[in-house]
Amino acid sequence: MDQNRQGARASYVALSVFVALWILAPSAVRRFNREAFVEFQAPALHLLGKSRDLATFWEKKSRSVEEMAAAGRDLARVNAALEIQINKFEDIRRENVRLREITHYNVPAEYMSVVARVATRDSSSWWQRIVIRKGRNDGIRPGAPVVFGNTVVGRVTAVHLTTSEIDLVTSPGFRCTAYLEGDDQNNIVLVNGVASNSLGTAKARVSVIPRDYSMPAGQPARVFTTGMGGVFPSRLILGYLDGGTYATQVGNFKESLLVPSRDLYNLQEVSVLVPLQQNPGEALMQGDQFQ
Amino acid sequence: MGWAWLFLLLATYPWLLGADLASDTLASSSLIFFLSGTCLVAPCRRLKRWQAVLFAACLGFLFEARRPIPDGALALSLVAIAIFLSSNRQVIRNTPGMLRAAAIVNVGGCLIWFLASSYGSPIPATDLTGQLILQLLLAGIVGTIGLLPIALTQNAVLDRLNVPPAPDNP
Repeated sequence: MDQNRQGARASYVALSVFVALWILAPSAVRRFNREAFVEFQAPALHLLGKSRDLATFWEKKSRSVEEMAAAGRDLARVNAALEIQINKFEDIRRENVRLREITHYNVPAEYMSVVARVATRDSSSWWQRIVIRKGRNDGIRPGAPVVFGNTVVGRVTAVHLTTSEIDLVTSPGFRCTAYLEGDDQNNIVLVNGVASNSLGTAKARVSVIPRDYSMPAGQPARVFTTGMGGVFPSRLILGYLDGGTYATQVGNFKESLLVPSRDLYNLQEVSVLVPLQQNPGEALMQGDQFQ
Repeated sequence: MGWAWLFLLLATYPWLLGADLASDTLASSSLIFFLSGTCLVAPCRRLKRWQAVLFAACLGFLFEARRPIPDGALALSLVAIAIFLSSNRQVIRNTPGMLRAAAIVNVGGCLIWFLASSYGSPIPATDLTGQLILQLLLAGIVGTIGLLPIALTQNAVLDRLNVPPAPDNP
């Protein structure tokens, strides 16, 4: 019995020494340890995602031929309409490039789009994240914006070999600048996630709304990205203002809540917009603090 | 057997993955199925202390790996719990004791990661008591219900590895 007690005491002492060493150890050690455990789990996450895809495949395969033919016909019509739109946009793009050359306007950042399937979703009061099945091997870099259509989903926070973690718009770590629909003066407001404290839909906070701003009547005001800072392209939808705006404690500005325009926890696929040229902010995001 | 803890970790991992899957379905409510504390209880009856320590550390690091929790906060706490449990095996000698330990350890572990995350969070938050209570309640229920199937799996693996059974009078 005494031996047991002595052994326990020695173990506690060893643990205390290890804790001290762990705190004093260079951050590279802790990062390597984290990476090792992430990579250990990556194959299981891939397997999970692929088995989900397989289940969806068999579910679709069980549908009748008539149903599939009708879906194919509808898709062909949509494709035809989209082709016309693509031609129209190509004309606009050429004109845009020409005008920029004439006015020597700064060219906005260009992005490479990487489409990725969602492996898992993970959410608590302190983080709201999804894990996608693409990573460093596919060219994804930390800080890259993640979208679905023209809707902002979030931002890449950590990149591993074959998986990446994405902080959703509503996650406490997320923040960006935005414009409000119906604000003719284009005042810049701030969007940042909040710690979730309810069982309902997670929301973000929109702050620094000018006092004289009034929401458009009859519809929720949309919130768009500004394109400033070089992370998100401009005019992407972040979400809608929830209900009304309310004055802050100081009273100089108003605040409101932002509801994401899509159910972020039901997304199956997202696009990661990787900047073709690394912007200066990315280097900062690759540090230890950006977890 | 020296590597018993590693084989046991591999056998326990599907349960952790299952908990992640359940967390996935609960994502819209901001709750997490936390099982790491429960997975620690049964092995502490049979593994040697150093093996239980390694097992606990790996359990903690697996949970922390994909989440913004300060490095080692949960893992090192689980190690301390593993040392306590493997040194006081009389508290987990019978099934009621194990169930009680599973609930306490799981809730304790859950509280530790919640507080560690709040410490590491970039923004302050208020009025999270309700969410914390819900999360702890879920951890307690999941920990108690999950113990029996998890312990059965772990004991089956330990039997196969010829690890001696837990003594009646430790």
